[in-house]
Amino acid sequence: MTYLLLAESESIPQIFGLNWPAFIAQVLAFSIVLYVLKTYAFGPIINVLEERRKRIAEGQANAEKIKQQLAESEAKYRELLDKANVQSQKLIDEARQSGEAVKQRAVADATAEAERVSARAREQTQLEHDRVLSEVKRELGRLVIDTTAKVTGKVLTAEDQQRLGEETVRQLA
Amino acid sequence: MFSLLAQIPLNAERLSAPGSKSWAGYVFTNSLIVAAVVAILVLVFARRATRKMALVPDRPSQNFFEAVIEALYGMLEGIVGPHMVARAFPLLATLFLFILASNWFGLLPGVGTVGFGTGRGPLLSLSELEAPLLRPANADLNLTLGMALVFMFFWALWSYQELGVGGFLHHTFGPKGEMKGFMRYVLIPIFAFVGLIEIISIAFRPVSLSLRLFGNIYAGENLMHTMSELGTTMGMPTAIAFLMKVIVPIPFYFLELLVGVVQALVFTLLCAVYIKLTTSHDESHEKAHDDAHAPHDKTAAPAH
Repeated sequence: MTYLLLAESESIPQIFGLNWPAFIAQVLAFSIVLYVLKTYAFGPIINVLEERRKRIAEGQANAEKIKQQLAESEAKYRELLDKANVQSQKLIDEARQSGEAVKQRAVADATAEAERVSARAREQTQLEHDRVLSEVKRELGRLVIDTTAKVTGKVLTAEDQQRLGEETVRQLA
Repeated sequence: MFSLLAQIPLNAERLSAPGSKSWAGYVFTNSLIVAAVVAILVLVFARRATRKMALVPDRPSQNFFEAVIEALYGMLEGIVGPHMVARAFPLLATLFLFILASNWFGLLPGVGTVGFGTGRGPLLSLSELEAPLLRPANADLNLTLGMALVFMFFWALWSYQELGVGGFLHHTFGPKGEMKGFMRYVLIPIFAFVGLIEIISIAFRPVSLSLRLFGNIYAGENLMHTMSELGTTMGMPTAIAFLMKVIVPIPFYFLELLVGVVQALVFTLLCAVYIKLTTSHDESHEKAHDDAHAPHDKTAAPAH
């Protein structure tokens, strides 16, 4: 069906079918949609979007903070490591020096001890030598006295024995 | 006298008995049915999308609805500004979604082609159809004018809240810029005249908003009907007329899909711009506002 729209006898609202009941009904329909969407759809959606935006912003801020903290920790770690390296080097040096000193002291002590032992040994050797020598001399003196008494066939007096002993010792010295 | 040949009438058809003068007879039109169905569909989808809202969305409906709302919110915030967007967004977003859904719903098969009439065969042809059961909701001026007037009500309310009556009159009729001295007095009548034009322009906003949307959707519906009937109008054999009825409208469906979005956007963006024009403070007002607050800032500065 083709319509020939005439604007001669009808008013503009009539031509367009404008009337209060239909208009109010359409306004009510739209207003209901507006109210329901505003209350139950846009509000929750915008809240969720805002909440998500906040979370993302917080997440980014936290990530930035963590990055900064990581950088600070790394710097601190490097500083501590450097300090530890220096300290350990110092300890090693000190230990080396201390070891050297201990070594030198030990060597000195050992040398001194060796000399002391050696001196004591020499002294004991000397004492033993003197003791043996005096023993030999005494024995020889006694042998000379005994031999002399046997050769001469007389009994030697104490004076003779002393004289012979002293003579023998003088001869051996 | 003007005349226009059209496939469908300018007014929405009543679904009551012909000649009925009852209130219900005026209310229940084929476009109101479509408006109600679209409203229910939009609300059902919105409810479905927001029923179990999760911060990390796991349902496509929430994802999709959020994407649409976020995009709309960003776009409208850029126009009306952060100050007004929280108040204006629900109305502007509802306008966009409702108009878009109505426009696209009007393209579904059956809208404008199923209804009552008197014909010879078991099925009516389009030319025999007298009262379609469904008509694109925005092809009824009652709805488009209704939406425009609802918007104008909120626009007036927000303008009053933001500027007050005096502020609005100053904003409309007062001299703009920072002109001082003699020139200011010379320009006062000019700005008063411009203000008068502005008032007329504001008065015509609901008319222009509603007629633009109505005109485009009504024209689209006519276009689709004309294209569907092209074969018959040209007197083609039945088989070819049938093929043309199927094939010829296809490119126009794409055009109408585009027109549906564009008209929804135009209506919404114009409303946003109208809000912006009255609720945004002009430069001189901003400066006066800043000057008024400057002493507080100066005293507050050392405290920081």
